[in-house]
Amino acid sequence: MSRFWRAGWVGLLGWIVAAGSTGWAEIREAGVWWLPRNVSHFGHEIDFMIYVILWLTGITGILVFSTMIYFIVKYRHRAGVGAIHSHGNNTLEVVWTTIPVFIFLALAIYGNEMWGRMRMQKPPADALQVAVVGEQFGWNVRYPGPDGKLGKMDSHKIGKDNPFGIDPNDPDGKDDFTTYNELVFPVGHPVQLHLGSKDVIHAFYVPEFRLYQDMVPGRVYDFVWFKADSTGHFQLACNQLCGQGHYKMFGKLSVVPEEEYQAWAKGKAPATIASSAPMPANTSVANR
Amino acid sequence: MSTATLTHAEAHGHHDHHEATGWRKYLWSLDHKVIGLQYLFGSLAFLFIGGALALLLRWQLAFPSTQVMPDGNVGNPLSLSFINPQFYNALFTMHATVMVFLVVMPVLVGAFGNYLIPLKIGCGDMAFPLINELSFWVWLASGLIMLAGFFVAGGAAAGGWTSYAPLSSVAAYNGTKIGQTLWAAGIFINGLASIMGAFNYITTIVNMRAPGMGFFRLPLAVWALFITAFLLLLAIPVLSAAGAMLILDLNFGTNFFNPAKGGQPLLWQHLFWFFGHPEVYILILPAMGIVSDILSVNSRKPVFGYRAMVYAMIAIGFLGFIVWGHHMFVSGMNLVLSAAFGVSTMVIAVPSAIKTFNWLGTIWGGAIRFNTAMLNALAFVSMFVIGGFSGIFMASTPINIFVHHTYFIVAHFHYVLFGGSIFAMFAAIYFWYPKMFGRRMNETLGKIHFALTFAFFNLCFFPMHNVGLGGMMRRIADPTAYEHLRALQPINQFITIAAIGLGFSQFLFLYNFFRSLRHGEPAGKNPWEATTLEWTVDSPPGHGNFAVTPTVYHGPYEYSLPGAARDFIMQNEPPAPDHPAGSPVSPRPVPVG
Repeated sequence: MSRFWRAGWVGLLGWIVAAGSTGWAEIREAGVWWLPRNVSHFGHEIDFMIYVILWLTGITGILVFSTMIYFIVKYRHRAGVGAIHSHGNNTLEVVWTTIPVFIFLALAIYGNEMWGRMRMQKPPADALQVAVVGEQFGWNVRYPGPDGKLGKMDSHKIGKDNPFGIDPNDPDGKDDFTTYNELVFPVGHPVQLHLGSKDVIHAFYVPEFRLYQDMVPGRVYDFVWFKADSTGHFQLACNQLCGQGHYKMFGKLSVVPEEEYQAWAKGKAPATIASSAPMPANTSVANR
Repeated sequence: MSTATLTHAEAHGHHDHHEATGWRKYLWSLDHKVIGLQYLFGSLAFLFIGGALALLLRWQLAFPSTQVMPDGNVGNPLSLSFINPQFYNALFTMHATVMVFLVVMPVLVGAFGNYLIPLKIGCGDMAFPLINELSFWVWLASGLIMLAGFFVAGGAAAGGWTSYAPLSSVAAYNGTKIGQTLWAAGIFINGLASIMGAFNYITTIVNMRAPGMGFFRLPLAVWALFITAFLLLLAIPVLSAAGAMLILDLNFGTNFFNPAKGGQPLLWQHLFWFFGHPEVYILILPAMGIVSDILSVNSRKPVFGYRAMVYAMIAIGFLGFIVWGHHMFVSGMNLVLSAAFGVSTMVIAVPSAIKTFNWLGTIWGGAIRFNTAMLNALAFVSMFVIGGFSGIFMASTPINIFVHHTYFIVAHFHYVLFGGSIFAMFAAIYFWYPKMFGRRMNETLGKIHFALTFAFFNLCFFPMHNVGLGGMMRRIADPTAYEHLRALQPINQFITIAAIGLGFSQFLFLYNFFRSLRHGEPAGKNPWEATTLEWTVDSPPGHGNFAVTPTVYHGPYEYSLPGAARDFIMQNEPPAPDHPAGSPVSPRPVPVG
């Protein structure tokens, strides 16, 4: 049996080294072996929280596992050595109940303080208003025109021909322009999203923004806002299972300098009707 | 608290059924032990089906059939062309459904609950043997109905095991009307089986304990199953109602969940997770109880802090009903509610921490025997700790804004469900196999199986934390479709190879299991020198379990008592005048050493 063991371990080890080293090399090259790049101001706080809990669980983990291994080795069965008879210790129970209570409550309070700032605080008044409405399997996007105001969205009006639920007589919406699967944000400028869905639940997910938010049909969520602090090109992914084409429901998302954004927006024609730009044929529901 | 209300004879006066023989035994027997074995064999069969589904979906993630290659061809040369995106969605949906409803629940609650409860509390059978048998057949039917989805038009349900509406509730959105209906019907019927089992367990444990078997002399495995039964009874009907509403929405024109017609998609999520979070504890509490017993027996020590363990499980049972919203932090429900669920979720981590410390306390100062059951139990503790740690990340509301629905959560629940529940299942099988079949499983094969499973499990699931933090979404049929995930593809392939190793290691277990039925070393009544009542009877126990109803004089964990002749005292051993006995439940002072 020992030969079997040795062969098994050598094989396993060789395979780990081989598979691991090729994998690792490629990962390091791409620079994503750990958390991806972070471009949103809230994202840095989220990363900080991840590191706080990582240190906490890391230290606790080292203590717990080293204790466990120490016990396993020290108290292994040996001839003539019996076990201690103990039913427990109430002082210890109180200690190891109280300490976790305080640690977990502290984490909850600290986390919720961040949650409150990210989700329940109003965005700055000058925030760029952008509407994003998901559908199987693509993204309708609507930007305000020169007046800086987005037409009012009504979740009850969202439908096949009116993805944003806009009132056609709303003056604010007349000069809005729309894109499909394409988002451009100015760097350093707060952006407020208005998220909705035409059919099933989708989710707005950009790992570099540390941002996930479900988009539930029948509702419009306007509490998500952020500020990108550096430029780059990213992918917007749907991260809520939405059907057959879910895996390829992605859009382009760019963060560009303010002037570049203005130039891009200027080139866009206003949406003539309430609806969005025409759906590309390859993503329509009928052709999926 | 200390006396049972029914004696063995009273409890059995009204159904003096006879022992069936041969194959008939497995069809018609009302014996709780036979029903337990039926659940065991049934769920082991489903374990291999669920595992096969997992390997198929892992293959697609490593070598996607939709991937565009440098030469312009679609499909990796290694890919399986029959896995299209819709079938991939069905694969992970059914993998999770099978593992939750047809493997972990039935094996821990159905198999070990049925087999062990009457034997451990000292009675002849369950309170309602006929309902018990009915529950097994209903459960089996539910499994076949759910799997039948693979053979109908449109294929099996493909909306995830959580089946979020309106994708699941509107046929035009999902394209799997029949499969989704079969899924919901299966869930409904599966719930009936769980409810029948749950009230049977509660009635049996409350009423049919042997004389002297007070609640605080119950082994922790029985306590865990008792609390689990309450969770089942309160949580399952909510899922059944949701399943029924889903069937109505899909087939009969109602619009509970369809916002286009005035319904509420979030209603489904609230109903599902009101069931779903207690369900998480339904899947882990029996494992905790079983592992506590096995750690104690093999450390030759009483469970450390027995009462603290019981109270922690009761606390988990209560808190389990007020944390469901942590699955919905980013669903868009009320933002203050999210914060409140964030607090209750952090609080429910406390009893789990208490249990971990008490498990360490149990092995402290022991004389540990490293048999296969013990190795699996120790693996349970360590993997549960890692799963608990990743749970703290998920519970933090701001972090959830980033890691929700990534592979980080996939890593988390596999550490709890496989690292936790499945290792506990293996521990339980290696531990009680001698009682069930009268022979031991082969220890050498068992240890090789354990080592391979433990190694491959970690190689498979630990890297998922990294790909999750790297930004990989769950439930996507082709990660290479995304620029930001392409660099992670080597890790995905590595995970798949480890998963294959993990899957194939289980055939070693299967071989050992069936070989030992005939060739295992005969076990005798009490191979592990354990104290609880099931070890006082023959292996396997005869029909009716106990020739004479036992009287219980001791707690369940009287190991290594100073001055005793042996290092264990059976629960039904009458106290001798020359050594201390009586009420060993109150904590004794801890000797220094």
